Amino acid sequence: MKAQEFQEAAGCTDEVLSTAHNCRHYAMCKVDFLGNGVCASGPQRGFVAFYPQGHMDLYAALRDGGAPVTSGALAVADSCDLCGKCDHQCYFVTELRPTRVMRALKEHLAAYLQAGGRVESEAEDPVLARIREIVGDQWATNDRAIAVTYSHDPSPIAVPKLPAYVVLPGSAEEVASLLRLFKETGIPWTARGNGSNILGFELGEGAIIDLNRMREMSFDEKNWSVRVGPGVSAFELQSAAVARGFRVHVAEPAALVLASIMCSGILSLFATSYGTSAEGVLDARFVAPDGSTFSMNQKQGPNLFAFAPAPQTTPGICVSADLKLHPKTDDEEGALIPCSTLAAGLELSRELAQRRIGFAVGVLGIEYVASFMAPTQELANQAKQVFGERLGMACLVLVLGDRYAMGSLKQMGHPLIDQRLFRTLNLGLPHLASAPWLDLLTQLALDEPFGYLKAEGFAELAETALAPSPQRLARAVHPELREFHEKLYARPELTDLVWLNMFRITSSRIGREKHFFPILLYLPLEAGLIEELCARFQAIAQSRGIKHEVGFLAPIDSGKRCIFEYDYYVDQCDAGEIERVREAVGAVAAVIDEVGARTGTLRWMRYVLYQGFCRMENLLYTEVPRG
Amino acid sequence: MRRFLKSAGKSESPLSLLFQRGEREAACSAAGNRHAQAKFVLTGATGFLGSHLMAELLRRGHAVLALGRSAGGSTLQERIARQLDWFGLQPASEQLQCVEADLLKPHLGLAPAAYRALCRPATFVHLASDTRFAAANRAASLATNVGSLAAVLDFARDCSAPFFHYVSTAYVFPAESALCREEPVALGEFANIYEESKARAELEVISRCRDLALPYSILRPSIVYGDCQTGRSNSFTALYHHVKALELIRDIYLNDLTNQGGAKSRLSGIERAPDGTLKLPLRIVLPRKGHLNLIPIDFFLAATLQILSAPRPDTIYHLTSRTPSTMEELASFCENFLGIEGIEICYGAEPGNWRPNPAEALFNKLIEPYRPYLSDTRSFDSANLDAVAPEIVAPTLSYPIFERCMRYAVEVNWGATHRNGSGFPVR
Repeated sequence: MKAQEFQEAAGCTDEVLSTAHNCRHYAMCKVDFLGNGVCASGPQRGFVAFYPQGHMDLYAALRDGGAPVTSGALAVADSCDLCGKCDHQCYFVTELRPTRVMRALKEHLAAYLQAGGRVESEAEDPVLARIREIVGDQWATNDRAIAVTYSHDPSPIAVPKLPAYVVLPGSAEEVASLLRLFKETGIPWTARGNGSNILGFELGEGAIIDLNRMREMSFDEKNWSVRVGPGVSAFELQSAAVARGFRVHVAEPAALVLASIMCSGILSLFATSYGTSAEGVLDARFVAPDGSTFSMNQKQGPNLFAFAPAPQTTPGICVSADLKLHPKTDDEEGALIPCSTLAAGLELSRELAQRRIGFAVGVLGIEYVASFMAPTQELANQAKQVFGERLGMACLVLVLGDRYAMGSLKQMGHPLIDQRLFRTLNLGLPHLASAPWLDLLTQLALDEPFGYLKAEGFAELAETALAPSPQRLARAVHPELREFHEKLYARPELTDLVWLNMFRITSSRIGREKHFFPILLYLPLEAGLIEELCARFQAIAQSRGIKHEVGFLAPIDSGKRCIFEYDYYVDQCDAGEIERVREAVGAVAAVIDEVGARTGTLRWMRYVLYQGFCRMENLLYTEVPRG
Repeated sequence: MRRFLKSAGKSESPLSLLFQRGEREAACSAAGNRHAQAKFVLTGATGFLGSHLMAELLRRGHAVLALGRSAGGSTLQERIARQLDWFGLQPASEQLQCVEADLLKPHLGLAPAAYRALCRPATFVHLASDTRFAAANRAASLATNVGSLAAVLDFARDCSAPFFHYVSTAYVFPAESALCREEPVALGEFANIYEESKARAELEVISRCRDLALPYSILRPSIVYGDCQTGRSNSFTALYHHVKALELIRDIYLNDLTNQGGAKSRLSGIERAPDGTLKLPLRIVLPRKGHLNLIPIDFFLAATLQILSAPRPDTIYHLTSRTPSTMEELASFCENFLGIEGIEICYGAEPGNWRPNPAEALFNKLIEPYRPYLSDTRSFDSANLDAVAPEIVAPTLSYPIFERCMRYAVEVNWGATHRNGSGFPVR
């Protein structure tokens, strides 16, 4: 009896299945970024399958015939206590409600068993037995219902791959033993953090080595250092660092820190002052593919500091790293400076980096900002229209800094949205979209774009007009989630630009309307070059009917170079659109290779894979042969 | 001499003094019979002054060639059709020709054959203008207001134009001038790039027209608002700009008092009086007492048509009011119209300890570019206009006229929604 036959018996609707199919695989349900806890079974059992993300994938696989009903599937369904925390987390990021999928999974399997369905067992496997000897029985499996939850990652254009084994080592020694075993048996392996890599590099048909159990985190404050295991997420590390009065340089909240460094270096607005790649690393220890170990500081070890502008193979698995701690001050603030052209935003960000104003600087696209500020997609669309079309913003430059940096910004004479006004706009967003007084701002901007932001008392007038409050913003969300959102937005950090960016919450909603594929480049911060690339990426997308937007840009190394992201959006359930984006990415590659050959200064992210521990200067300035 | 009554409640429009009913009917009939009269080339026909002039010329049966550009996704033809729809006109295609042209390029950016085909004798009225004040727009303002003259005057030459009329502004004189005469101006200190570019353009017109032996006139209107008889307007800048801003600020506080408890309003001393009036303390600080020279569009139109009908070579005309408004009068009009009280005009330097409330701060920011006009002390001699149109006099802006114009503006939501339902751009 096949699982699909039980759809109706389980009371499933296509809407529930659609929710399951639309899981973005960001792993945000694995970190407590909203402060209300995470699904209890996940940390206890370790495998992705026991987190809400895995439940979603399993349910979709059972419904689609992609996995059999196994003992693992029953264990996954039983482990969920329908606490509803995943609804809060997933709604915040994607506006999806996974709890009904959790419920549907239970009902689906109950109906299957009641109808006499057979629970399949995996065959005896000598390799699995040897793996289990290394890590313990409970940390390795070949159960297809568990493995299927490792067959996806957040790349909307990656082809799913079902691994034969999933293993969760608990130490560097276990990792070394596993790699020796896989070398001996010829089993290909893929190391996986939280599976949140957005470029499709974490899938494999052999063994998946899930590093989530290796959660070492020990601070050495006198050396401004923290030792981190490969299972520590960005959010966890930043939380621990901030609690001790420090800050670390990390990627998106659910990304595992060492995996981020390995794959791409840390891409963030903080790269302006903290650099990227090896800049944030004091030392790191690796297990090589042959099971031997080495460290970055080892004189005779592999030279991970080198960078080559060509595809590389993995140097092994990073099993721990000592990362830099950065100081914080108690007067840190954020400000957004609207710009009427992208070129103006680029020039401003370059100037700020060159003058070392602010410890984090970035040019943010309007889609990026509107997506984050709005708790629903409908409101995000309205906000984008207001900021972009009615108020004439092409981009916003975000600056985080101390009071001296904020003073410098004001001295430079830029109209700016300060922390107070940002909070007002964010919590008053539902009123902003329909406010007649926007005409007043349009009038005020006729002779000086955004000149109203310089008027004394503008923030107070905006507060009067928008009546911002957590309650007002919460009215925009689903009625069942309003009470939670009222409490959530009453917390100051949810509208604090420094906190939101330090913990990388601002980018979490970028894929809410649709999944996205980022085109990531390191390149000179030159408006002409970036505008040329934007125009060509835009033309490629438009000719294929693909939604596209400037994502963000952050200056590095005093504004001499920058990280630049341009996004293509794709409906992950639309095979036609996925194919069009695949084609478009091919065309983008040709453009990057052509412009890279002409200028000798571009570094595409696909060449940075496995080289993220390289010296920053080697990454940014190594001469590339010109065409 | 027939003059506007000061109350202007039932007075005749300046235009009606020129074109009595019979004449208008004859003009329409001529248009209907497709016997076009003299031909005019217009630039700026999609603008406030230009659209009114175009409509009246068409009503009189003249043929018009409108030069302009597409904008906002609409072709020139579509933009002009929207304007004419507002005027209730649907001219025959033989009477109105719209040509998309780039006034910054030789031969208007047209192919040689297309350009040659347009070169037919016609009177030129050049109204196209960039009216922005900000220094940041300097390059664009100079290009539009001065740079475009080369191609337009070349075209006038190639058309063997009998006359070239240039619409400038009364504010080409330095702010400290006392009496401004209808004479060429010397370059000096200007309040903004708009004034400077118009002054430069006047000098260019005079110089080039002399070289080309092309008779010219320069028309210098002051600040133009809607039709003083009907209140109608298809542009809501200048005077409207400030009234609308006050309305929006008023509504923010009314909403706060009505729906949000009013705590923010009370902090700024803003409250509602028992009779419903909003007490809105709003001090406007100006360097000195002056006046604002405002004229209605129907006066501009009547005077311009009179000048076009009997052009005097190489003459400058001031189309201005002899009775400019004081800021106190305008503040009082705004208070009455908007149901607010508390606008106070203060003269001199800002007090060192002045802490404006948010409404004051924003409104003072809003009027910043217009300050030179709010405390203006210039007066304008209009002897040349008096000589050609002694019966045409700008009416004093009374409250009934103000109310009529603003009521119309509110009815059409300051141009966002036109009365007939068609969208109409504010600017």
